[in-house]
Amino acid sequence: MRSPRASLRIARTLLSTQYAYMLEYRAEIALWALSGVLPLIMLGVWQNSGAASQAGWSPAQLRHYFVAAFIVRQFSVVWLIHVFEEDVVSGKLSPFLLQPLQPLWRYFAAHLAEQATRIPFVALMLLALSAVDPGLLWRPSLQKLLLGLMALWGAFVLRFLLQTLSSMLCFWSERAAALDRLLVIPYLFLSGLVAPLDTFPPAVQRFALATPFPAMVDFPARLLSGLPVDLGGGYLSLLIWCLILSPLCYWGWQRGLRRYGAMGA
Amino acid sequence: MVLARGLSKTYRIAEKQPGLQGTIRHLLRRRYRDLDAVKAISFGIQEGEMVGFLGPNGAGKTTTLKMLSGLIHPSAGELRVAGAIPQRRQPGFLQDITLVMGNKQQLIWDLPPWDSIRVNAAVYGIPEREMKRRVTELADLLELGEELHRPVRKLSLGQRMKAELLASLLHQPRVLFLDEPTLGLDVTAQGRVRDFLATYNQRTGATILLTSHYMGDITALCERVLLIHEGALFHDGPLDALTSKLSPHRQVRLELHQPQPREAFEAFGTVESHQDHQVQLLVPRDQLTDSVAALLSRFEVLDLEVNDPPIEELMRSLFQQAGRN
Amino acid sequence: MRRSKTLAMLLQFWRSSLESESEYQLNLVLECLSVFGNLAGSLFVLSLLFSGQSTLGGWTWNEALIVLGLYTLLDGFTSCLLQPNLSKIVNHVQQGTLDFVLLKPVDSQLWLSLRCFSPWGAPGLLAGCVLVVLGLPEIRPQSLLLGGLLLASGAAILYSLWFSLAALSIWFVKVWNATEVLRYTLVAGRYPVSAYPPALRLVFVFVLPVAFMTTVPSQALLGQGSWHWALGSVLMAAGSLIASRLFWQFALRHYTSASS
Repeated sequence: MRSPRASLRIARTLLSTQYAYMLEYRAEIALWALSGVLPLIMLGVWQNSGAASQAGWSPAQLRHYFVAAFIVRQFSVVWLIHVFEEDVVSGKLSPFLLQPLQPLWRYFAAHLAEQATRIPFVALMLLALSAVDPGLLWRPSLQKLLLGLMALWGAFVLRFLLQTLSSMLCFWSERAAALDRLLVIPYLFLSGLVAPLDTFPPAVQRFALATPFPAMVDFPARLLSGLPVDLGGGYLSLLIWCLILSPLCYWGWQRGLRRYGAMGA
Repeated sequence: MVLARGLSKTYRIAEKQPGLQGTIRHLLRRRYRDLDAVKAISFGIQEGEMVGFLGPNGAGKTTTLKMLSGLIHPSAGELRVAGAIPQRRQPGFLQDITLVMGNKQQLIWDLPPWDSIRVNAAVYGIPEREMKRRVTELADLLELGEELHRPVRKLSLGQRMKAELLASLLHQPRVLFLDEPTLGLDVTAQGRVRDFLATYNQRTGATILLTSHYMGDITALCERVLLIHEGALFHDGPLDALTSKLSPHRQVRLELHQPQPREAFEAFGTVESHQDHQVQLLVPRDQLTDSVAALLSRFEVLDLEVNDPPIEELMRSLFQQAGRN
Repeated sequence: MRRSKTLAMLLQFWRSSLESESEYQLNLVLECLSVFGNLAGSLFVLSLLFSGQSTLGGWTWNEALIVLGLYTLLDGFTSCLLQPNLSKIVNHVQQGTLDFVLLKPVDSQLWLSLRCFSPWGAPGLLAGCVLVVLGLPEIRPQSLLLGGLLLASGAAILYSLWFSLAALSIWFVKVWNATEVLRYTLVAGRYPVSAYPPALRLVFVFVLPVAFMTTVPSQALLGQGSWHWALGSVLMAAGSLIASRLFWQFALRHYTSASS
């Protein structure tokens, strides 16, 4: 078993290397950041419709919520399945399997490095937004900010675990990415990314809260934008879903590797 | 170091008929067939040996190598490498081995090799000072210098291969699996890689298993050759034993003072080529000395050369023959 | 003679594309699920936007359905033709196979744009048509014709945008995902343009002309089309097609002079 010091060294080296790597792909990452404008487009539609005020939201709350959702999405986006599928199909996974490090950590480090590379571009977009309409930005209290960032981190880990589970399908099917795309649908519509959960009819809202999706956007976005939120419930939801998905991922990985070894690495 | 007994690998692949009808049928109901990639091969390799796996494309060399390194699970048979079962891929086993593939890049493409080296050092738990010492030593042997600080994509193919080798040997494995390591390299680079491997084997006593379809690699490096064809082991032993087995003839090349008719040489063996002053014959091995003596006495020979027929040709004819059977 | 040869060639390409795509049984099911899932979600969000009101930006529920239907149709068109073909341009540039394309006796833009045909856009095309039929109060032949024409010009604008962005990869391979950005921003076409605040409306007419892709053809189908918009749409379509062609020729000049 590795000492914590050795693990820390691996983490440090992986992160710094991946960050250097991501910097080489700045242009691509800037474009990906740009493609995250969906919440802002939805803000446009919701602003003009009277439906949000029906749910008891002021225009300012509506704007802050969607901008917060925009930020949450930028820093919780997971693209694991695309690189993982490519690595499995091309056989690039094989050398990783021959090193004494769980390969998934490499992808995790890559995601963290990518987020770090995104920060300046997102900051620029927020700046542009504030130039268009100063009322779009706000300053959250330190407590809310920290809680919100913690929730954002939790949302990222949860999304990563969920996509790890669908990535395991890459060992059985060459089109696992298509299956993962199906999961994007409930993410878009049930997480609060395109429509605030408060506007849902009560039955649908209850159904949504039983899924992991609201924890991925609604919870951290409400924390960051200062809307009323169930703090304990939100964190509990994040924790429970992570605890459910982790053993499933582990099991999927073991079975998947067995198949990879049987079918030809 | 390596012990294989009855090692086999069978794949199940889906079959599809060409054309649109076949496509629809395939969509609705699939048909499978079994492909034997490796058929019950057995061999043992001692520590420090340099062994070559030879065979045409698709023979099963790479599959065998991947089974030995633990990437592929054998369908049948027993396998031990460095005392461990490879497919379990336990940390101790992984520290003892390394796999280098000529057609796949393991170094990070957009960054200098040093970054990949640093990651490897962290993963294998090599202390920083020790890492620097080993890199200097290996870089010296491989003749690499400032290339380690240039992005991998800016290096030539030869430099890239050398850097790959350096990064893979950082943790001083006891067994090296090399899959086509000189693939695509020019002649000079090939020579350098071969020299390095020979020196490395001498210095460290590491066991080296390599597959190649360049005969030059095998003849330069491997005292022992395992010939694999259609998944079966054809030959396991020294290279010259293979040559004798494959061809009971030796090639005799003569340069004559004056041209002689073709029929004059047919008594000694098969005439391969006959052109003016140059004659090339295939003479049975057991008659070699007598034939050579007779040729020298009967004709005015300016120059005489005795060779093994090129092994590539032997292999080609062997595989063609086996294919016909 | 040449036209039928080109047509025969196209059909052959599409048949082989179909064959290679059909290798994946799972894909068919997944694609249908994806289209219908997205549609269900969009309808759900639309219903939320309409809750408590009868209009969205002046459009009734049925009328908004038509806009959504046309968006789904164009999305299916993107999946059928635009995505499989134009995303390959960057691959050609990276692997150097663009040279082979240029040496073929077919116009390179045509070849690159129509080479592949993915059947996976079909569910989208079908669903889009169904929505439009559901939303239309009555089907009048001249509105259908005008709507069809404006939809075609909207598709032409969409194609030109996609193609020009894909052609950028001749200069900057690293911005290959620019077409992905386009796809993600065009979702604004799901809703009628008047549903957006005035500032965004200007953007969606002049900068990212989604207005011409879904809103304007929808108005025509409803018999509410105005001459200015229809003319503007056709002009914009023609202009963007010409621009994309000129841009492509410019890109090719750069490519052939720069590659070694």
